[in-house]
Amino acid sequence: MCCWFFLRRMGPVLLLWLAVCLSGSWAVDKGNFKTCDQSAFCKRQRAMKPGESPYRALLETMELTNTRLTLQLINDNNKVRLLLELYRLQGNITRVKINELKPLKPRYEVPDVLIREPPTEPLSLLSQDENGVVLSLGAESQRVIVSARPFRLDIVEGRDVLMSLNSRGLLSFEHLRMRKDTQADPEAENKEGTDPANPAETVKEEEEKVEDGMWEETFKSHTDSKPSGPSAISLDFSLPGVEHVYGIPEHADTLKLKTTDSGDPYRLYNLDVFQYELYNPMALYGAVPVMLAHNTQRTMGIFWLNAAETWVDISSNTAGKTVFGKMLDYVQGSSETPQTDVRWISESGIIDVFLMLGPTPRDVFSQYASLTGTQAFPPLASLGYHQCRWNYNDQEDVRSVDAGFDEHDIPYDFIWLDIEHTDGKRYFTWDPHKFASPKEMLQGLLDKKRKMVAIVDPHIKVDTNYKIHNEIRSRGFYVKNKDGGDYEGWCWPGNAGYPDFTRPDMRAWWASQFGYDQYEGAMENLYTWNDMNEPSVFNGPEVTMHKDAMHESWEHREVHNLYGLYVHRATAEGLTERSGGVERPFVLTRAFFAGSQRYGAVWTGDNAAEWDHLKISIPMCLSLGLVGISFCGADVGGFFKSPSTELLVRWYQTGAYQPFFRAHAHLDTPRREPWLFGPENTALMREAIRQRYTFLPYWYQLFYLAYHTGEPVMRPLWVEYPQDPATFALDDEYLLGRDLLVHPVTEEGARGVTAYLPGKHEVWFDIHTFQKHNGGQNLYIPVTMSSIPVFQRGGSIIPRKLRVRRSSTCMEHDPYTLYVALDNQRTAEGELYIDDGHTFNYEKKELIHRKFSFANGVLSSVDLEPNAQFTTKSWVERIIILGASKPSMVTLKTADGENQLEFDFDASMSVLTIRKPGMNVGADWTVTLQ
Amino acid sequence: CSFLSSEMRFHIIIAAFLWAAFVESRKIRGISSSYKRFYRERKSFLCIDGSKMIPFEQVNDDYCDCADGSDEPGTSACPRGRFYCTNLGFRPHYIPSSRVNDGICDCCDASDEYNSHARCQNTCWNLGQKERAYVEGQMKTLDEGLRLKQQLIEEGVLLWREKQAQLRELQRAAEDLQIKLEEHRKRKHEADRLKEQTLKALKAGDKGKAPSIFRTHFKTFAHFAELFQFTQLGRRFGYRAASISCLLSLTGATTLLGGGHQMDLSKFQNTLWDNFHCFHLVGSLLDYTNVKLSCNCIEHYDNFDLQKKLEIDYGTDWEYLFLNGQCYKLKVYEYMYTLCPFNMVSQKSTAGTEVSLGLWGMWAGPAKNHYSQMVYENGEPCWQGGSRTTSVTMTCGTETALRSVKEPSKCQYIMDFETPVACQPVLKQRGVHSEL
Repeated sequence: MCCWFFLRRMGPVLLLWLAVCLSGSWAVDKGNFKTCDQSAFCKRQRAMKPGESPYRALLETMELTNTRLTLQLINDNNKVRLLLELYRLQGNITRVKINELKPLKPRYEVPDVLIREPPTEPLSLLSQDENGVVLSLGAESQRVIVSARPFRLDIVEGRDVLMSLNSRGLLSFEHLRMRKDTQADPEAENKEGTDPANPAETVKEEEEKVEDGMWEETFKSHTDSKPSGPSAISLDFSLPGVEHVYGIPEHADTLKLKTTDSGDPYRLYNLDVFQYELYNPMALYGAVPVMLAHNTQRTMGIFWLNAAETWVDISSNTAGKTVFGKMLDYVQGSSETPQTDVRWISESGIIDVFLMLGPTPRDVFSQYASLTGTQAFPPLASLGYHQCRWNYNDQEDVRSVDAGFDEHDIPYDFIWLDIEHTDGKRYFTWDPHKFASPKEMLQGLLDKKRKMVAIVDPHIKVDTNYKIHNEIRSRGFYVKNKDGGDYEGWCWPGNAGYPDFTRPDMRAWWASQFGYDQYEGAMENLYTWNDMNEPSVFNGPEVTMHKDAMHESWEHREVHNLYGLYVHRATAEGLTERSGGVERPFVLTRAFFAGSQRYGAVWTGDNAAEWDHLKISIPMCLSLGLVGISFCGADVGGFFKSPSTELLVRWYQTGAYQPFFRAHAHLDTPRREPWLFGPENTALMREAIRQRYTFLPYWYQLFYLAYHTGEPVMRPLWVEYPQDPATFALDDEYLLGRDLLVHPVTEEGARGVTAYLPGKHEVWFDIHTFQKHNGGQNLYIPVTMSSIPVFQRGGSIIPRKLRVRRSSTCMEHDPYTLYVALDNQRTAEGELYIDDGHTFNYEKKELIHRKFSFANGVLSSVDLEPNAQFTTKSWVERIIILGASKPSMVTLKTADGENQLEFDFDASMSVLTIRKPGMNVGADWTVTLQ
Repeated sequence: CSFLSSEMRFHIIIAAFLWAAFVESRKIRGISSSYKRFYRERKSFLCIDGSKMIPFEQVNDDYCDCADGSDEPGTSACPRGRFYCTNLGFRPHYIPSSRVNDGICDCCDASDEYNSHARCQNTCWNLGQKERAYVEGQMKTLDEGLRLKQQLIEEGVLLWREKQAQLRELQRAAEDLQIKLEEHRKRKHEADRLKEQTLKALKAGDKGKAPSIFRTHFKTFAHFAELFQFTQLGRRFGYRAASISCLLSLTGATTLLGGGHQMDLSKFQNTLWDNFHCFHLVGSLLDYTNVKLSCNCIEHYDNFDLQKKLEIDYGTDWEYLFLNGQCYKLKVYEYMYTLCPFNMVSQKSTAGTEVSLGLWGMWAGPAKNHYSQMVYENGEPCWQGGSRTTSVTMTCGTETALRSVKEPSKCQYIMDFETPVACQPVLKQRGVHSEL
């Protein structure tokens, strides 16, 4: 939630602000946030146009070891030297690092995002002359060509250029410098006049040219003191043959990124944007500087590891590539090839970029996962339905909402408490009246096998009667302002301090606060929500922290986009540690960065109860999934404003098929628990939630897969159909794993939707009617209010649990129904993953992982993890085979012997239902149709 | 058998009973006695909706065969099934099949968790006792409440009659005033005419004539004095200050003229002419519409309020009338809430000012119990649009008091208000039946 509510409480103190906010009415006030023109470094850098790069590679400085190549670059305009490092990383990744050779002081290199120092592979020199060098990147005739004058890098496979760096000459590195008094050197002008022929002197002039905003920058009423002066970096990437680029979340925009020539670049700067607008490149709560490029031949990724404010320009053209020089003569350069050019600009730090060379989408996912890790494997219950509201007022309110779910027979797993549950916005505390006995409340939920999430935000009320504040202050853990005092800003509690989460000792202390001995009233079914961790500072520049605030020796400018990740991490570690490392944490965060997937779930922040916001939830979560963050969701119903009943129902139907499924509402909106809109609508919302619960085994398996491989749970169609251009821009439908295609109804008053069913040789089965449809077509599907168009891919087997109970935990031992959807070859495959659902014991192989396959009329279950140890009570109660023909006999074979099974065949739909096979789902078995 | 002690006999009976229960329970777990007829042991079982015939062994075999769930009354197999808790000693009831063997005790006789980890106790007897004690208490409350209600109804009728009489009296007074006003209107016309004459005369330069005209029409002026008294009678309406000052100067002028002194023009102009302005002012104020307005004002302030009060629906027997004029308070956390029935609801924080949570709107209970809920609307506007509203639920009790206040959504308040007049004899009958 944003500043809105706060403002009215602060009253006259921020009256001016209020007026500003009010003027925006129901839309974002863009004036509160910078455009590129208002951000001095972006303006400076963007003013630089493509052309010949002033940088030259000094080949004589080249050093090649087994693991890396280093080389100096020189800027011929100012003679400042840079150091280029080039690494070949395992798994077809090339890392390019550029830093100043001798910076005035160290420049910031982002720590804690990579899961380890990436293992390297040998680089070998193929050829070298005065124009450049060619290095082999190992397999598949991949080479990197370093051209010396001007400096550029080309990554080449066979005769194809995959990617070029600095081909447009936009490499820029503002070196650190001493501040000079611009008015004290009148001779400078004379020099220029008297000695124009001396190039060195001209160079000096250029270097000394001081532009506005280099040493100080003012936006609205805030001045950034910029003690280190200009330090921006920039680099361009050309992607020949690429017309589709994706990623760089978080933006409220389409899945396929747009060109930015006519407007602002996409901005990456974690911000608490009040009532964000859709379809624009403005920064939002989180930032993952990863872009994917895709064409029918190849998928690649660019990971720009920099946590400072960043802008990304995208342009697309079919203009011919610049001449490569003699060495590149053999490279085929077709001027007709479409090309996308990308340019990254960051305010400070170094250039550290990972070129993930695919070639398949899956390869890129695993390449990125090898760098930043995979999705944290969540507790099973967190994949159920979450009921949230700002705020459930007191324990009685919680009890009655909980009872409402039982009364209306709607399952749910988590009920959430927003900021009002605390004692005066002091996190880790409870309102002494409204939540006087939290353990009693939590026990009440535990008795129903349900859980709770309470919010813990990173801003700490400055109050000497507040233990958390006193400890942080006395340990010196707060972020400092530029003058060395504790940084203070306004947030929910009024005046607040911001703990320095970049410090490991601070994070360890914070984690300890979640211990049962520290967090009074907490129990094992209490989990945590980190909001406002951009960080949100109501009276700060752009509603965030001043860039010249200090995190020990680093300015906030350097670490800004990392802050939220650190908060999330420290909290998740706290929840893990409180159980001695046994139980999986569940933490939701609003701000994030590359690597945040390792710590839990994210949501798309403070959206609104509007149809367009429902629509945008799809591309926003798809974009996050592509860059590793699978556990994504949008507030069901919309946070601001009040949804129409139709919108609310449609949102439940959509949310039920998105990874993180939570309803949430603003304090000022009327109640909207799913039973408040008449029995018909209650039934519709109940049905959507129940569908979610029947698919929990599939969701869980997808998350296990995401945890293992980094593959997104919710994925764009092109990921599975990379050669079908019709899928490349689709973002009103998506896949869950490979096997479920979802096209939610997101239009008001819709009578039908048109879904593209991919795969020319594939078939798709409507999961509700079992109607079979051919792939490779646009299918019109008439819809009513109860319709949720979802299709199971022919060739897949999906295990489901049809006995939907009060919560996912209540369904633990329930039997499975296997949905076997046959493809045109009458085969199918699927998996099932089971463990205890909540501990880390799966790391000790306490799990069941089965593979089901159907071929030649035989369905069999094979153990994928023969060394694993886990037992389940669950059995197979039903097998439904879609696209089947009628057998004369069905036989089950297990270790205990053989027996015949009853079955029922629906000839009109070709659906075979095998009744009660009854074998344990963890066992080896075959079912034979004759 | 005669050798067996009574104690042993008792044990045998119990054992036989349990055996019978065991034999029977295998097939019919989860059904009520009224449904037993559908589950007579035969070769096959017909789904209750008639949709399908299945072998009888498939009843309660933990697989759902019937679309209506009727083959699995005792398991969790059917998505829309229901399980009957016999709950001997308490109230029998149905739970959804999904709650069978889910590890949570739902039936107080523990019958729903026959195959789960949950260690459920049979709590029916305790619950039954509590329930009986509760019902007994409720019955007492109801009896007492109904007795008090009868009193209040009687008082209410009396009060209503008294107020009606007051109203009639006031209405009569208002009618008188109306007549008077009508007279004054005519006189005012006359005064207007006189004024014009005087002005004309003054303009024509016949300065000597003016005082004489004035004297001639002194009677008319005297009526003005009366008029002022009348306006004073309607003190609450806006022109009071002006008319009083006029009245004072008029008294002075009357004295002057009454004294029979000759007046020179300057004196006339200094005193009477000013008065004339006064008359002019008052005269224009008291044109017909203003007369009408003042009349309405008077009605509003004196009896209109009462009339409005009596127009409110106080229940079939005016049993809620006594609440009008009363206020009830309740402190919830840091807020003090005040409910003045048929008038308004407000909230006051310990530090801050009073905020209106709504003005009397209407009764809003369901058709069969219209007087069970009140709505107060148009309270202080809310930040995001709309205004505060309060809905008050009336519950039966022996005292009249505000029992709880909640704000489930911003600016929407819910109150529980307890009073004997909310007690319903119908309720009592229903209660008795359902418990016996």
